[in-house]
Amino acid sequence: MNPVLVLGGGPAGLSAAAELAALGAPVLLVEKAEYLGGNPKRWHYSLLAPDLTPAEEVMGPLLRRVEDTDLIERRLRSTVTRAEPRDRGFRVELSGPESSGWREVSSVILATGFDHFDSRRKYEYGYGRYPALIDFKEFEGMIHDDRLTRPSDGALPKRIAWLLCVGSRDVQVGNPWCCRMGCAVSIKQAVEVRQKHPEIDAYVYYMDIRTYGLWEDLYWKSMNQYGVKFVRGRIGQITQAEGGKRLVATGEDTLLSRPTEVPFDMIVLASGMEPGTGTKDAAQIFGLHVGPEGFLTPKLSDLNPVDSGRPGIFLAGAATGPKAIPDSVTEGMGAALRAYKYARD
Amino acid sequence: MLSAHQIREIVAERDARRRGTGKKVVDIREEMETLEERGELVIHRIRPENEPVNVETLFGWTKRIPTTRLWHHKSCGQCGNIPGYPSALLWVMNALGKTYLNEPHQTSCTAWNYHGTATSNPVALAAVAARNFHRAYETDHFPLIHCGTSYGDYKEMRKLLVENAEVRAKVREILRKMGRDLVLPEEIVHYSEWVHAMRPEIVARRTHDVSGLVATVHEPCHYYKMIPEDAVYDPAILGGQRPAVPTGILLALGARVADYSTWYDCCGFGFRHILSEREFSRSFANLRKIRPMVEEAHSDVAITSDTGCVTTLDKSQWIARAHGEALALPVLADVQFAALAMGAHPYKIVQVHWHAAPADRLFEKMGIDGPAAKAEFVEYLAALKRGATPETLYRPHDEIEKYFAVNKGQVLPEEAPAPAVGGLTGAIGRALK
Amino acid sequence: MSVVAHLPRRAPAVSVAAEALPPELELTGRRAMSPEDRRTAATIFQEFRADPRHHEFVLGCLNCGECTTGCPAARFYDFSPREMLQIAAVGDATTLWDGMQEKIWACCQCYTCNMRCRFGNDIAGIISVMRELSVRHGLESTRKVLAPFNRSLTLLMTVGTQVASDMIQPDFFKDWGPFAAAGEKAWAADAELLRRAIPIDVLQTTTSSWEVSVQTSLELFRIYEETGVLDMLRGLDPDLTEMLIDIIDERREEFEEARGRYRAEIEKMRGPVATFTG
Repeated sequence: MNPVLVLGGGPAGLSAAAELAALGAPVLLVEKAEYLGGNPKRWHYSLLAPDLTPAEEVMGPLLRRVEDTDLIERRLRSTVTRAEPRDRGFRVELSGPESSGWREVSSVILATGFDHFDSRRKYEYGYGRYPALIDFKEFEGMIHDDRLTRPSDGALPKRIAWLLCVGSRDVQVGNPWCCRMGCAVSIKQAVEVRQKHPEIDAYVYYMDIRTYGLWEDLYWKSMNQYGVKFVRGRIGQITQAEGGKRLVATGEDTLLSRPTEVPFDMIVLASGMEPGTGTKDAAQIFGLHVGPEGFLTPKLSDLNPVDSGRPGIFLAGAATGPKAIPDSVTEGMGAALRAYKYARD
Repeated sequence: MLSAHQIREIVAERDARRRGTGKKVVDIREEMETLEERGELVIHRIRPENEPVNVETLFGWTKRIPTTRLWHHKSCGQCGNIPGYPSALLWVMNALGKTYLNEPHQTSCTAWNYHGTATSNPVALAAVAARNFHRAYETDHFPLIHCGTSYGDYKEMRKLLVENAEVRAKVREILRKMGRDLVLPEEIVHYSEWVHAMRPEIVARRTHDVSGLVATVHEPCHYYKMIPEDAVYDPAILGGQRPAVPTGILLALGARVADYSTWYDCCGFGFRHILSEREFSRSFANLRKIRPMVEEAHSDVAITSDTGCVTTLDKSQWIARAHGEALALPVLADVQFAALAMGAHPYKIVQVHWHAAPADRLFEKMGIDGPAAKAEFVEYLAALKRGATPETLYRPHDEIEKYFAVNKGQVLPEEAPAPAVGGLTGAIGRALK
Repeated sequence: MSVVAHLPRRAPAVSVAAEALPPELELTGRRAMSPEDRRTAATIFQEFRADPRHHEFVLGCLNCGECTTGCPAARFYDFSPREMLQIAAVGDATTLWDGMQEKIWACCQCYTCNMRCRFGNDIAGIISVMRELSVRHGLESTRKVLAPFNRSLTLLMTVGTQVASDMIQPDFFKDWGPFAAAGEKAWAADAELLRRAIPIDVLQTTTSSWEVSVQTSLELFRIYEETGVLDMLRGLDPDLTEMLIDIIDERREEFEEARGRYRAEIEKMRGPVATFTG
């Protein structure tokens, strides 16, 4: 059997590769970064919502399953540059430092994932110009390493705000969809901060809290156990005050119907999810349909969410839309099963 | 800080994303081409004679700014109560050898009234815009819009005329009744964009050092909040996140530009409020703009680039004295500031006596002899009173133009290219040949 | 002071029997209205919903409040763009009627809400639509709000500029200068002289922002006639409208006279100047 090509080494790709190996199928795992683990690894995710499990405890076993087998050929810093369908399977052109050139594969799983929204595009916030304005993917690393220092003077911040839906649900930046995890992750971060430093005031600015399903528990606990404060309203602009010592977040408290203007030592932006550059490239190389948002679209999103509609090409994880890690892992398993079946038949 | 390269990527992404959403951003200029091919309108094109300079807009699109052979679309508010605003602009153009027409054959955009009282409608606004566009076209001079509201309104009206066939038909019918036709300029150009494009030439003629000055910028709402994709941005200015005008000219001249917390706020003009509910405009301007500009940013001068903003920020400070506040922050348009830096007469040209906030301290810091200039001006007034002929920036119009929007022998662009003639006051002189 | 305080409140509740209205126009008013107001409110609602701009400007709302964030009026009045959008979106004639009495006039038309709105609504635009309707139907509150605009409306309709330097009088707009800063007395008496000291010929007038040629002002008036602006204005102030027509009639005569005087010159010209007849 030719190997199954798994494109992308994030949670979905790792899960798919591990599952295929467990079925005894050879795998060609191609990842454009120099490490496996995807966004969780790249941004040093701290605890994972909703159970506050350390990210290492989730990603660690997944990585070990991939690394502890000879069935998975791992190609880092590599990309697929061209693909041609064969009678069965595909011929794909690999480009990377270790091996380049054409390879025969029996089927393809695209787990090309997402990119975090670049908050500089929400230009009323001034991200990239104000040091105390932090993207929550960077903040993950800061709480992970307990580096909570105010950029202006190195002291511990007294007040931190989280702004939800940055680069999500916003046609002004071109992303009308919901990122699904911004609420939970922000609340989780606020809880982590309050756990470590109860003296820091934590405010979350939201328009809806979407801690769906059983994740709701985290939302409730954040209030009744950790004293995180919630203000219903979006921040429309951020400016500097006190000679750059603080940031001023201006918004409307929509429940009180009043404009608010609050100084903070640090503001964390819950930047949304966009189709990753790998996803865009894969769509082009494999001639797949993308939706208006730029994500890959399964042929039957209800009945078979991992089937691209093109024979032998399967989809998993955030390549088809924003997803949490457990969902991506599950889809990786589903795609592995479908790809295995296709390759074997 | 962001690198220019990073910003370019961000800007390209902005464009790609916005074009793909329900709130579609279309480049209206492309639609105009299609309509022109179908014979539905004529595009007033920027030609080599206009010596265009390229700048970038919000989505990284290229905008061509014509720099000469311009038709001044005056602002009613500027001409009415800040006359140093247009005269500084004309003076700078003369100094740089640019040609123009400044005619009595122009109406205001009438949008101040519309935004203040709603006693009009979009078809009327579109017809007014098209009427002025056609006048500029028949003189073969490219319209340069002085007022931020006119600029915003004309961008909206151009979009309306392109996108709405019904409005287009109605406006064309009205125009034909007055012997005109539907002409839309290739670009809607704000004078501050011209100032921005002319930065190198202006800086080269700087006679006063402004490096010791701290300026605060008030960004005019109608410049960048109406049809935002048409406003000029520059990766090298304010991280490409805020408009490049009028900040760019201040930085180029060497002034320090300070940030303040209410940067995004409007000035409080309100269109209706400035005339009939002035306690609002005054309170807003003083509390939300002037005070932060002075107390947070310690600014020596507030610079803006629109009629309403100069009016509100400047003329609202006087009343604050009733509350014991005397912040007295001079408020100038970018082009007035540039003219001063180039050595323009503070009273005869920049006409600062029409401003309510005193500029004396600013003059001192710029090395301008204010008292001497004032004495000269008082002397000039006395001479005028004795019957002296007023000095003008170009040869005054003939009597016939009080009545008729005369065709001064100019040819329509498609008939023949006009000869290129230089000279400071050459525009009218040439037109009369 | 709030704009609301300036404006008349409708008379306190008077109970009237509801007249038959189509169900979609059911008036769910919190206060009873006179039968006449009820009819007007129903008509306005129908016209509002039939205006193509409604469909284009009002798309939906997440109630995020980002519009209100940058709203200058929201800081001084009981007003928010978010509320105005809700009023525009809700299917209720009374709510619209109430919003059109006072709130629409608080808006500064700065367009900050439009630029910020993450749903892409045109909030400043829909407020203008409401304002236009209130003018067209001559609402009492609108007449009061716009009463101070007679002078600027006259200027605007007859010469096409909003202001003139002779509006700056000692007892009004004193702080608009000139020489307001120094408190010098020179400015009031010598307005005409100061205008002559502006180095631009067409600005050397006190009665409008710049001298507008007669042909230009007549072209403008033609636009107002053709686009229904005069009819709108008639709903607001019939006397003012008649006065404007008189002024323009005089100007048309003046134009014809001038045409006689300048016949020779004009005959040599082409384009609108040769054909326009007022």
